Amino acid sequence: MSDPGNLFNEQLISFLSILANEGATNAARGFGSMVGYELGVTKPNVRMVHLSEIPNLMGGPEKEAVGIYLRIEGDLTGQIMLVIPYEKAFELVKLLLGDDIPLSSELGRLERSALAEVGNLTASFFLNAVATKTGLSVRPSPPAVIVDMVGAILDIVIATTGGITEHVILLGSTFQYQEREVDCEFWVIPDPSALDRFTSGSN
Amino acid sequence: MNIRSVGLGEIVVSRNPEDILVAFGLGSCLGIGLYDPTTHVAGLLHAVLPENPNGSTDPSAKFVNTGVISILEEMKKNGANLQKITIRMAGGANMLTSPALSKTFDIGTRNIAAAHKIFDQLHYRLTAEDVGGNIGRTVRLYIVDGKMTVRVIGSQEKEI
Repeated sequence: MSDPGNLFNEQLISFLSILANEGATNAARGFGSMVGYELGVTKPNVRMVHLSEIPNLMGGPEKEAVGIYLRIEGDLTGQIMLVIPYEKAFELVKLLLGDDIPLSSELGRLERSALAEVGNLTASFFLNAVATKTGLSVRPSPPAVIVDMVGAILDIVIATTGGITEHVILLGSTFQYQEREVDCEFWVIPDPSALDRFTSGSN
Repeated sequence: MNIRSVGLGEIVVSRNPEDILVAFGLGSCLGIGLYDPTTHVAGLLHAVLPENPNGSTDPSAKFVNTGVISILEEMKKNGANLQKITIRMAGGANMLTSPALSKTFDIGTRNIAAAHKIFDQLHYRLTAEDVGGNIGRTVRLYIVDGKMTVRVIGSQEKEI
């Protein structure tokens, strides 16, 4: 078997950068129409990283974070995980729901459901861009919201790739509204069997 | 005190009383701690998946079954008396509780089962377990006295 790292070549990364850019712009527009004001989003940076590097990028494996997890289903299969530092998750919820809505000091049902919707929209817009560019049919599963240590959130991805995929495509982006900014990490992990279709679609 | 982080698929064995072996943020992964109170040799395994899929004898610490064999060998090499060791285990959570997603991904439970299986085969008995549920854990093994602790988000370390 070939080294899975080789499957993520330059061509794939540049293709994904285009998709990520379109997807993020679409997602910002989508959020904008949901909340009634224009939300900015920075051009996402796309990187391929080894799974073992992720905890340190997120402030250490014991750091508390919110993960929003979805499966990619259809012609292409894989996983998407949106990761937001715990304290930033509140800011994102406020950004979406406005300051008028009283929030609990913990992530309660309302906050979790708003975050699930963030994952849902982000994934949908990203996958729509994939579908448009490749002609493949892809859709996200319903999202699951996990509040726990970064390491434990990462385990979900590692466990489900069965130890085969050692690399993750990391899309970093920042949502902005006026002076507020919320950084999001967006991990895309195509199933190994899906990578060929991904690249052949980019030709 | 000297923190020695045990990453994904790694084994650390030490007999330095200054060392604390730590596996941070275990979700479905297992932290398996071995300690010989007679020689004060300790080891911690951070296993990711239940069994080496090829059935190969690759001594990879990524898998519970091959990892357990490797850590026992490492302990022995460092002078531990394997007749005297205590074995404690934590982790193996199911991090996805959403009904639509959780069923297919129960790696945590499979990791725990794989650990029981390999220890049974090798005729070792587990001294303590803090496993399952749907919460992440950080595991610490203190070489100085063999104390092993588990910490979850929003709480203090507790000894197992």
